[in-house]
Amino acid sequence: MSTGTLGVAALLVYLLALVVVASVARRARLDRTPSDHFLAARHLGVFVLFLTLYATAYSGNSLLGYPGEGYRRGFSWLMATGMMMSIVVVFHALVPRLRPLAVRHGFVTPGDYLRLRYAGQRHAPALRRAVGLLMAVALGNFLLAQLVAMGLVANEFTDGRVPYALGVIGLAAMILFYETLGGMRAVAWTDAAQGLLMLVGLAILLGWLLAEQGGIGEVTRQVAAVRPDAVAVPDAREKANWVSTVLLLGLASVVYPQAIQRVYAAESADALKRSMALMTFMPLATTLVVTLIGIAAIPRLGHLGAIEADSVMPRLLTEWAASGPAAAGVATLVFLGALAAIMSTADSVLLSLGSVVATDLFDRERNDPETTRFGKRIAAAGMAVAVVLALVPALRETLWRLIELKMELLIQCVPAFLMGLHWKRLRAGPLLAGLVVGTCFAAGFSLSGASRLAGVHVGVIGLAINAAVCAGLMWIGRDDGREPASATLDS
Amino acid sequence: MQGGNPKARRRIRRALLVAIGLLYIVSIPWYRTSGAQPELWLGLPDWGAVAVLCYGAAALLNAAAWLLADVSDDDGGGS
Repeated sequence: MSTGTLGVAALLVYLLALVVVASVARRARLDRTPSDHFLAARHLGVFVLFLTLYATAYSGNSLLGYPGEGYRRGFSWLMATGMMMSIVVVFHALVPRLRPLAVRHGFVTPGDYLRLRYAGQRHAPALRRAVGLLMAVALGNFLLAQLVAMGLVANEFTDGRVPYALGVIGLAAMILFYETLGGMRAVAWTDAAQGLLMLVGLAILLGWLLAEQGGIGEVTRQVAAVRPDAVAVPDAREKANWVSTVLLLGLASVVYPQAIQRVYAAESADALKRSMALMTFMPLATTLVVTLIGIAAIPRLGHLGAIEADSVMPRLLTEWAASGPAAAGVATLVFLGALAAIMSTADSVLLSLGSVVATDLFDRERNDPETTRFGKRIAAAGMAVAVVLALVPALRETLWRLIELKMELLIQCVPAFLMGLHWKRLRAGPLLAGLVVGTCFAAGFSLSGASRLAGVHVGVIGLAINAAVCAGLMWIGRDDGREPASATLDS
Repeated sequence: MQGGNPKARRRIRRALLVAIGLLYIVSIPWYRTSGAQPELWLGLPDWGAVAVLCYGAAALLNAAAWLLADVSDDDGGGS
């Protein structure tokens, strides 16, 4: 059996398994409420919660974008390991305060926290909608990145038998099907299997690469010979970018709607803590591995263009599969793992998109089954738009640039959550002003093509301006007692 | 890791988080001249090996900090 035929067969078996999982998840549902559909009735235990957090956080970006970036930038991309770990560190500022509120008040979406925290304040509805809009745009961008990655992987995986467009459309339809049918349960259960596949697959691939090239030391020597800049100590701009990247991802990722919803969906606080403790090791098992894979590709694959570099991993796998039947079988598993990781992120994003738009933007009642149906329709519409965009080559950026764009917007929502959880007197008005100024700054520079200033992401600079505007307005209005301070930090 | 004095647990957790911050600062090769060609250490450029070791240590400390964290399902908990 050729590699491509093997790939098509494996893909069909995998898709069939997804249909079975979705059907079982549908039978397991307790009712038709948004809490059951979007949060699996808050019954995710340590094992499933950890794997769904893992599979959601490590996605097409990790599997394609990060090796591509490692290939482009060399060893300085080791920063990605710190960047992914910083997410689990920054969660310390969010989880201990948000989780008890979420349990007590039955939160479903991030906006539910804002609704409670800034209740009775004049600018609270506008703040909630602005945050919801930024989150929806960021989620849409994230979904787009996953669809692009899905199309690339399916095409490589099947040796071109599944064209890029068919991969995007067909797999998008499959995600929509099982997410609509099984909700968070289907998403979390498939995430668990997908996470395991990805973990095992990556470890095997790295082992093969290192064995082929004579170990990590030999890889470094080969890289130094063909691209000395990839091994040299980074320059000042790259060091500044290292700090900026850690801050951008660490801060923005904790306000990922899908991450916040997993904080809500945990079966217990203990399950959440243990999952976080396990998650902290995953950057070493995943990001570090994919970075080394990208670096190891430098001497193997010669010169690739910026967009082409995102296909470093599929190219390596194809090369590996051609080396013998056993390698072809294992490479197929790795490919499946990669595809699974991408789909697991896309499904989580889609689920969050539906709930955020329905309840935070359109203010639908969060306990009404009609909200679940409305959220599903929103998810379908969002998926349709993302599929169309993924098929337009002119709109394609590198996967890493798509991630940066999303983070630069999402990071502007951070003060509403992190400052709101720790600053009792913080009000919605100053937060909204800061958010608008920070977003205009970041979006303005991004759209004009300037994504970094002296190596620092415009989103991070925008966040600093955002927080400064907010703190400044709070200071100016410090004696203003017209709006109630939050009671949520006391209760 | 939930037994013992809650105040002591909170102090240890804070110290762990500060240590993680320091490891992050050390992980970036500020201490090396930009553009210099490094020695090989643990199979990696020396500055890259330092970064990986820092992140490994940060993972251990962060896991401990999570196990010490005071996360509660009752409103009013949390630190």
